[in-house]
Amino acid sequence: MAAVSRALPVLAAARPAEAVERRERALVRAAQRGDGPALEELFRRHWPRAHRAALLVVGDAAAAEDIAQEAFLAAVRALDRFDRRRPFGPWLHRIVVNRAIDWARARTLRRELATGAAPEPPAPDRPESPHAGALAAALAELGPEHRAVVVLRYLLEYTPGEIAALLDLPRGTVNSRLRRGLDRLETALREELA
Amino acid sequence: MSERLRTRLGSVPLDPEAESRAWELVRAAHAARPRARRRVPLRAALALGVLGTAATLAVLSPPGRAVVEAVRRSIGVEHAAPALLRLPAPGRLLVSGPGGAWVVGADGTRRLLGSYRHAAWSPHALYVAASGPDGLTALAPDGTLRWTLPRHGARLAAWGGTRADTRIAYLARGRLHVVGGDGSGDRELGATAPVRPAWRPSDPGAFVLASVSASGHVVVGRPGEPALWRSAALTAVPRLLAWSPDGGTLAVATAQQLLLFDGRTGASLGVALRGIRALAYAPDGRLAVARGRSLQLVSHRGAATTLFSAPGRVAGLAWSPDGRWLLTALPRADQWVFVGPHRVLAVSNVRRQFGGAPALDGWAPGA
Repeated sequence: MAAVSRALPVLAAARPAEAVERRERALVRAAQRGDGPALEELFRRHWPRAHRAALLVVGDAAAAEDIAQEAFLAAVRALDRFDRRRPFGPWLHRIVVNRAIDWARARTLRRELATGAAPEPPAPDRPESPHAGALAAALAELGPEHRAVVVLRYLLEYTPGEIAALLDLPRGTVNSRLRRGLDRLETALREELA
Repeated sequence: MSERLRTRLGSVPLDPEAESRAWELVRAAHAARPRARRRVPLRAALALGVLGTAATLAVLSPPGRAVVEAVRRSIGVEHAAPALLRLPAPGRLLVSGPGGAWVVGADGTRRLLGSYRHAAWSPHALYVAASGPDGLTALAPDGTLRWTLPRHGARLAAWGGTRADTRIAYLARGRLHVVGGDGSGDRELGATAPVRPAWRPSDPGAFVLASVSASGHVVVGRPGEPALWRSAALTAVPRLLAWSPDGGTLAVATAQQLLLFDGRTGASLGVALRGIRALAYAPDGRLAVARGRSLQLVSHRGAATTLFSAPGRVAGLAWSPDGRWLLTALPRADQWVFVGPHRVLAVSNVRRQFGGAPALDGWAPGA
């Protein structure tokens, strides 16, 4: 890591968001050249949010790990084709969230088809997070498309316009899903959040 | 509400080990990826960009998308699941192709072993023989590397033997090789046709190998010893070999026909089945072939019955370890199809899940 830190510019003087973007562009360039430590820094920066986003959309710990892992593998495979002028995060989040939606839809489809498979068990609650169960239950009330826009908006901090672009949806659809998702979450969590 | 929701979503706990597991795979994929192509001159890049844009628009505009969807419906199985969630029978599936070699668990979990183009199970599915640019490699199914033999162009490995002693036959630069299961004692055995060799499974400790010589003869014998038998010159070069589980029959597919050789004597029965693209024996001795748009079962007398007719060309075959399910691929529809005793299950988006259309290398018992 030390070698990379020397090779890449330190941007302490720039504005934080701009500095982050410039740093990430430099990391992507370095990773495209085959620099492992640069890739690792990119991975460490993005893994927690990508993993958490997948978990919140699918509600299944094993599937979320697979989805986030495969999104990073897909990103690595497509690294040489990546347009370095664009930010890395949205590119990765688009892969993660779309895969998570596909997985959640497929689980529903499988149940509908009644193939004889046992339903997926819900993700176990962690003892260190007493509220995780309530949040998961509230999210589970939503469909995967609604969960995805909520996660993109309130975990990954995208604007409705950016979410529309990420999911190839009309902006009005994003707004209505956000509203509906928030309404349901608010109802489900009102007592707990009070 | 919004701020508290932000806080709550951001504090959902994660498995801390998941990050390490994922990083190991990502690191390996990054290290194994091919080097970037040379830069294209600007003018050529602009021209390609225009062409690429036109093609993209044709595919992704609403009318283009409708055409793609219509084609997909006409060549694939409808109501396919969008992703592989689990296998319909116990066991582990090994596949390999442009996106590397993968082991798929019964619960649908996928593990990338590395950027290997060909792979094969060891006789008891304890290891995988994989080949790629670096040569021939033996790995555990969890991806742990056992050994690597640097042989440029190594491919089409077949691993045979007992629990105590195994051999791997493979091809490299048009020559047949055999190496010990521990990677030692590599021997070159002569020129060969580009056909995966096959170890006779009935007496694994005898190490009887079927292969195809460069002149197109089927040769059966112990490597390095005189052949037990050798076929007459065939009218078409064999493409595929498969032994019946009892070693009594060696099935050989050419472009023109299926040949069923008596495994002991070499006497053959020709069956007029053209265009076989894959063949595989079930554990109970049933022979399945994939040809054209259908999967067929072929009796030991050569009678073929259609098991499944697909809406598009089929490629690849793998029997489940319990012999109840057959897996094949519909490459044009980007689907896998599991044909079971009473139903058919399909999975779409195979290329996206495996980084390319993989070959079906085997469905082995085990967790």
